[in-house]
Amino acid sequence: MKRLLKWFAGILAVLLLAAFGVLCYMAGSPKDAYGMVRYALPHMRRGTLQVGSDAPDVRLVALDGIDRFHIRERLGRRPLVLAFGSFT
Amino acid sequence: MGDIVQIYNDYKDHADFLTVYVREAHPTDEWQMKSNVKDDVCYAQPKTLEQRVAIAKDFTARYKFPLPFGIDDMSNAADNAYAAWPERLYIIDETGHIVYRGGLGPFHYKPAEVRQWLAAKYGAVKQGAQTAAASASRASAPASTSSEGTTSLSVPAKSEK
Repeated sequence: MKRLLKWFAGILAVLLLAAFGVLCYMAGSPKDAYGMVRYALPHMRRGTLQVGSDAPDVRLVALDGIDRFHIRERLGRRPLVLAFGSFT
Repeated sequence: MGDIVQIYNDYKDHADFLTVYVREAHPTDEWQMKSNVKDDVCYAQPKTLEQRVAIAKDFTARYKFPLPFGIDDMSNAADNAYAAWPERLYIIDETGHIVYRGGLGPFHYKPAEVRQWLAAKYGAVKQGAQTAAASASRASAPASTSSEGTTSLSVPAKSEK
């Protein structure tokens, strides 16, 4: 039984090490792997919107920091391309 | 293929565009990237709307970002509604329905798919064809940026390589 547990622990350790290695490769370094797990993964969501869904209307702040507008206000007779992102 | 700024330049006569600035992806107090340090794109995660607006203004000014711009408020309503963080692309048709849903960035952020959708509807536009003249007219002006494009949003520098 002890031998079986040792094997199980060994395999688990190898799998964890492999997963960490893959994360490091994807992120670029162990520090970045930590950053990915700590800060990125908790915020990344696939979401429930699909092609054909009603586009949610959301109020945004204009670049002047004062005015507000809704995404739907920008819908006209043409398709609207929405590009989400940040500076960093 | 092209980035979103190039696509905007090529298709702005056919489609409307809106950039939505959401919470920072790689702020100094979270997961900062070396490339951001190198390019001096160093900001802490905004705690107030004023800070978020200030960063958005820095971004648009630094890159002379041409797309219409909106900022997600501190409740992150746009991010929550569109599962947008860290970067994502959508196309909404005239009836208010989603006709293209891009994958989650950075790995599945593919402006080329947006270009493909627009090309299928309006015909292919040779990348940069409409900006060539504009670039020529800007030739005497200083370059807007020498950045390698560390921003989550695609910046002109990437499209003009």
